[in-house]
Amino acid sequence: MASIPANYGLLLAAALFVLGFAGVLARRNIIFMLLSIEIMVNASGLAFVVGGSRWRQPDGQLMFIFILAMAAVEVSLGLALVLQLYHHLKSLDIDKASRMKG
Amino acid sequence: MSGQDFISLLPLTVLAATVVLIMLAVSVYRSHILVLLITLAGLTAAAAMLPLAAGSGPRRVTSLLVVDGYALFYTGVILAATFVVAVFSFVYLRKQQGQQEELYLLLLLAALGAAVMAASSHFASLFLGLELLSSSLFILIAYPRGRLNIEAGVKYLILASVSTSVLLFGMAFIYDQTGTMQFSRMAALADANAGVLFTTGLGLLAVGLGFKLALVPFHMWTADVYQGAPAPVTAFVATVSKVGVFALALRFFSQVGIRPQAHLFLMFALIAIASMLAGNLLALTQDNVKRILAYSSIAHLGYLLVAFLASGPLAITAVTFYLSAYTATTLGAFGVVGMTPCRGREADAVEDYRGLFWRRPWLAAIFAAMLFSLAGIPLTAGFIGKFYLLDAGVGSSLWLLVFSLVAGSGISLYYYLRLVVVMYMRPRGASSGEATASCPWAGSLMLTALLAVIFWLGVYPAPLIDMIQKTAALK
Repeated sequence: MASIPANYGLLLAAALFVLGFAGVLARRNIIFMLLSIEIMVNASGLAFVVGGSRWRQPDGQLMFIFILAMAAVEVSLGLALVLQLYHHLKSLDIDKASRMKG
Repeated sequence: MSGQDFISLLPLTVLAATVVLIMLAVSVYRSHILVLLITLAGLTAAAAMLPLAAGSGPRRVTSLLVVDGYALFYTGVILAATFVVAVFSFVYLRKQQGQQEELYLLLLLAALGAAVMAASSHFASLFLGLELLSSSLFILIAYPRGRLNIEAGVKYLILASVSTSVLLFGMAFIYDQTGTMQFSRMAALADANAGVLFTTGLGLLAVGLGFKLALVPFHMWTADVYQGAPAPVTAFVATVSKVGVFALALRFFSQVGIRPQAHLFLMFALIAIASMLAGNLLALTQDNVKRILAYSSIAHLGYLLVAFLASGPLAITAVTFYLSAYTATTLGAFGVVGMTPCRGREADAVEDYRGLFWRRPWLAAIFAAMLFSLAGIPLTAGFIGKFYLLDAGVGSSLWLLVFSLVAGSGISLYYYLRLVVVMYMRPRGASSGEATASCPWAGSLMLTALLAVIFWLGVYPAPLIDMIQKTAALK
């Protein structure tokens, strides 16, 4: 079975990462921003898995499990905060949350 | 793991056990003062374990953590700062409605995260410590659930998550190039194949850490979060989280080495200069005390980078001393802000401090001393700290950085002294209900202790410097 060159995996991860980053910058709806962050985080996870397979070590996949757990934490905290913010603003637009300036 | 390893980890274990204990205590019986006492007892017990852990010498505990003098010294600073923040939080929250007990739980978890970072020597422990720290901070910042708090919490959540993923991506690149996640082994492998990807990875890692340290140009979140978070939590963000991240950055980059990486060195130098100048210049335009202190903290982290870039044993002494002095001073400054309530809100407008000296002379005098120390006026800890930074910078002939440090300090005098002058002005009649401080004895005691530390470090720093040189030297 022909294996996929490691650099392709890294390229894919980088593309996903850039897409996620662009999403965070472009989107103004907080839910979509959280989704974009998920994409960035998972792109990093993919890069770790690629690294792990290149060196034939379990470390890369181990890091991916940590990353999954962290992503779950971030999303649950994020959604809790988003609920609270919606309670105050009646909107999910991040630009409305700009009482502080300077 | 041997028994000796468990002893080395005792400070961390005690801290974690305290968290569990508080969780159980809260579920049985809610009492604000009881939880505070458990927190303080837990922190004291963890600090008491430090000499015990130091007794077994520098140890590598599994491949994840290194418990050496450096890690233990920083853990001590983190524990002491958390102790002070816990007392401030009690004073701050005691009059408020709602359930306050979970705040201490989160404080301890965040402190645990910072301590893990100070001891980490592997990407996995770095990541776990960092996440423990920042996930606790999301909630801490939004804790009182006012509109500004939530706004600040959401902003911090978004930017911290983005920076974490940048950091992770950098780590993945480095791992892919070197095949190891241990800092100490990375250095040897890096020399052999320092390709473009490896440098990119280091750069991304530096950007991620720069976000956490609020260095220019990654400082956008700082002022908003500092303003929106309750004052004791702001003190925590400004001290404990930065101490943890900086301890880690110093360990990582002194093992991997920045000097050979010319691009990285240049990047750090530019970031340092930008932080020193932009932080101080932006602070000039603010009229909210918490925002002024936020921008000043950006500048202070810039100063720290001067010694960080100088590298070498003197640099580590300088950075460690400066971080300790900065921690004590910043805690004091935010402590005063948190204890000056003003008509049911925090007194954070500069105008709220007009004539504070005539109403609360002691509080105003403490605040003035903290501001002098931040400005680096002789007899205070800030002066000795800055002296060591300059010494380290000059020793490595980083002239441009040293010049920026001096220029930045000059600019900063203006806004620190402006606050001091406002406090000593005569109040404008009895017009408004300006800050009439309520400062119960626990808060006063803490502030007085911090004042004593500032002057002690400013007048007679030799014992602490001796201790840093003996314990905190990184190999």
